[in-house]
Amino acid sequence: MIYFDNAATTRVTKEAAETALKYFTDLYYNPSAMYHEGLKVKNDIESVRKSILSAIGAPDGKLYFTSSGTEADNLAFFGTKKKKNSRVIISNAEHAAVYQSAMNLKNAGYGVSLAPVDGSGRVDEDKFRELLSDDVSFVSVIHVSNETGAINDIAALARLTKQASPRALFHSDGVQAGGKIRVDLANAPIDLYSLSAHKIGAPKGTGALYCSKCVNLNPILYGGGQEEGVRSSTENTAGIMAFGQAMSDCCKYMAETREKLKNIIKYLRKALGEYDDIAILSPEDGSPYILSFASGSVRGEVIEHALEREGVLVGTGSACSSNKTTRRIPEALKLKGKYAEGVLRLSFSRFTTAEEAVIFAEKFEKVYKELKKHVG
Amino acid sequence: MSVEYNCILIRFGEIFLKGHNKKYFEDLLINNIKNALKPLDYVFNRSQGRYYIEEFGLNAGEIVSRLTKVFGIHSVSNALKVKTDPETVFDAARKMAPSEGKFRVTVKRADKRLPFTSAEMAAKIGGELLKASGARLKVDLFDYDFDLNVDMRDNGYSYLFYDKIPGAGGLPVGCSGNGMLLLSGGIDSPVAGWLMAKRGVRVNAVHFHSFPYTSELALQKVKDLAAKLAKYTGGVKLFIVPFTDIQYAIHEKCPESFMITIMRRFMMRIAEKLAKHSDCGAIITGESLGQVASQTMQSMNVTNSVVSMPVFRPLIGFDKEEIIAISKKIDAFDISIRPYEDCCTVFLPKNPVIRPKISEAIEYEYPLDVDALIDAAIKNTVTEYITE
Repeated sequence: MIYFDNAATTRVTKEAAETALKYFTDLYYNPSAMYHEGLKVKNDIESVRKSILSAIGAPDGKLYFTSSGTEADNLAFFGTKKKKNSRVIISNAEHAAVYQSAMNLKNAGYGVSLAPVDGSGRVDEDKFRELLSDDVSFVSVIHVSNETGAINDIAALARLTKQASPRALFHSDGVQAGGKIRVDLANAPIDLYSLSAHKIGAPKGTGALYCSKCVNLNPILYGGGQEEGVRSSTENTAGIMAFGQAMSDCCKYMAETREKLKNIIKYLRKALGEYDDIAILSPEDGSPYILSFASGSVRGEVIEHALEREGVLVGTGSACSSNKTTRRIPEALKLKGKYAEGVLRLSFSRFTTAEEAVIFAEKFEKVYKELKKHVG
Repeated sequence: MSVEYNCILIRFGEIFLKGHNKKYFEDLLINNIKNALKPLDYVFNRSQGRYYIEEFGLNAGEIVSRLTKVFGIHSVSNALKVKTDPETVFDAARKMAPSEGKFRVTVKRADKRLPFTSAEMAAKIGGELLKASGARLKVDLFDYDFDLNVDMRDNGYSYLFYDKIPGAGGLPVGCSGNGMLLLSGGIDSPVAGWLMAKRGVRVNAVHFHSFPYTSELALQKVKDLAAKLAKYTGGVKLFIVPFTDIQYAIHEKCPESFMITIMRRFMMRIAEKLAKHSDCGAIITGESLGQVASQTMQSMNVTNSVVSMPVFRPLIGFDKEEIIAISKKIDAFDISIRPYEDCCTVFLPKNPVIRPKISEAIEYEYPLDVDALIDAAIKNTVTEYITE
């Protein structure tokens, strides 16, 4: 089987699984416990915290572990103070965790502005600048688009934000970035940054929110006061430790993986470029982990199922034409006609091989030609 | 008021009316009850028009939930079963009594040998409760907070209970024969199946699957809907028919506006074949008059004309809101609205014909090898037995 849906989730690496197992069965102690074993686990968590902060280029920041990237986004939105009736800006192509959080704020009376993206999913900086003003209290722009892999220049957007809206906090959802591309938070006025473990080879159930030292976060969960009171709950020690392991492995192999995946994407771009009814959505300088394209003839979901029968698993942008909620991103990308329903996303991991890409291209050709026979 | 009930009392409904067939209906109902309660541990007893479930350990909640989905049961009650001896009954009544409020006691004395009337016993129990409550309880026969029921049966036991939990009503599944339900992933067809099951029909189901145009998730949705039906019917035999090749053929060779009409005719033909093979006496559909283009009188006539078996359409006169209300009641609605395509939305024509004629359908089907397409679809049909 060829698995090209690694942006949805990816296989847990052997190293991460072994690390988790150790904390499930040997070092299973509660990090809040007063005895030595508890303290040992607590110290281990602290060392992972430091290593992840260092991996995202913010050794002096704070990092709170959560249950997921979604929770990290929610904590950023609902754990920060916003002036009453102020305005929130998000990009037009955010992940649902950010989009729905913003819609929730909208229902609570805040203004929400959507910053337009170009056809590749990247925020248009000029239009973004026009939305900024003194009444903006919170900005959230995805770092790497989960749909297209487009990389937003969050450092530049954060600087723009602070110039025009000095009181606004700048958040970025870095779920598809952390461990995959270079993240350098300290060199920009980025206040909050979300991460997820299961996208980079650790188990599901762990995320984290980076928070710069000058931001105060209020909890959205109350309880035993773990994570400096910001995120009560007994720590998911196994998940956190595996997250640390996976992050450190990803960083170790980052340059090598980037080169390999760049070549794979180059090959696939060429292969898909052979079809005159296929438009590549991902920008050339996007994340090497994601290649998105749209068919102008066959619905993405149909191609996905047909590929599945051939043993190739991919993701769809628009899960189903009858489900209006999934049209948000194709509309943001200004996809016209059948292309809006024809989105497919290929996403890779550091274990993806060039051979798999070749097999994909062959299978795709077979499936696509067959499906196109029946297009009315 | 904390009491551990030791008995679940089952009252059955309409099958009382069935005269000399009563034994057949009762045996079927008991069989369905026992099927519904598998594999839980309990003891089943029957006496004088009531069934009793006892020795059920910690499963009372689960058992009551399952019983309320067995057609033919009128109501169930969690009860305290004690020997019919006045002091024992008083003691049980005191255990069950509320600590304060207005109450009444209703006694039913099925055992006519007992040396008191129902009213006398009710008064005595009421008196005992008043004595024990220290004036915090008051009797009020009409405006009461609690009605303590005491059923004194002829098996030497009394059953004390408060609540009568309504059952599903209807007739025991199986007593009206078998039906073949056209089960899509939508809201209507599971409701249609449920309504027929309520009238005693054992429901089989046929689903038309259009991979890769419809997904495994869409198929799972149908299985989940069948599982909801199975809660009421004991199990659903689901026939999954691959339909893509038939759709391709219609799409290629027939006028676009007749796509759905001809598709429905294929579905009916296949359903009838499978129905005959599974000893079914009727086809069941979720059609409701006028709801969509394929559900006009003319369309139904054209689709009906390819089968000779009766077609039951229990929703024919229902509004969508009424259908949704039942769908929610049987816990199917949240599944039905999962956003996956079903086969009817594949190659959907822009302007489907609303008033087709049989002669037109026959003419347009002419280029198709109907029998070969149907045989191939049936040959590749997968059967699954869905239980809850």
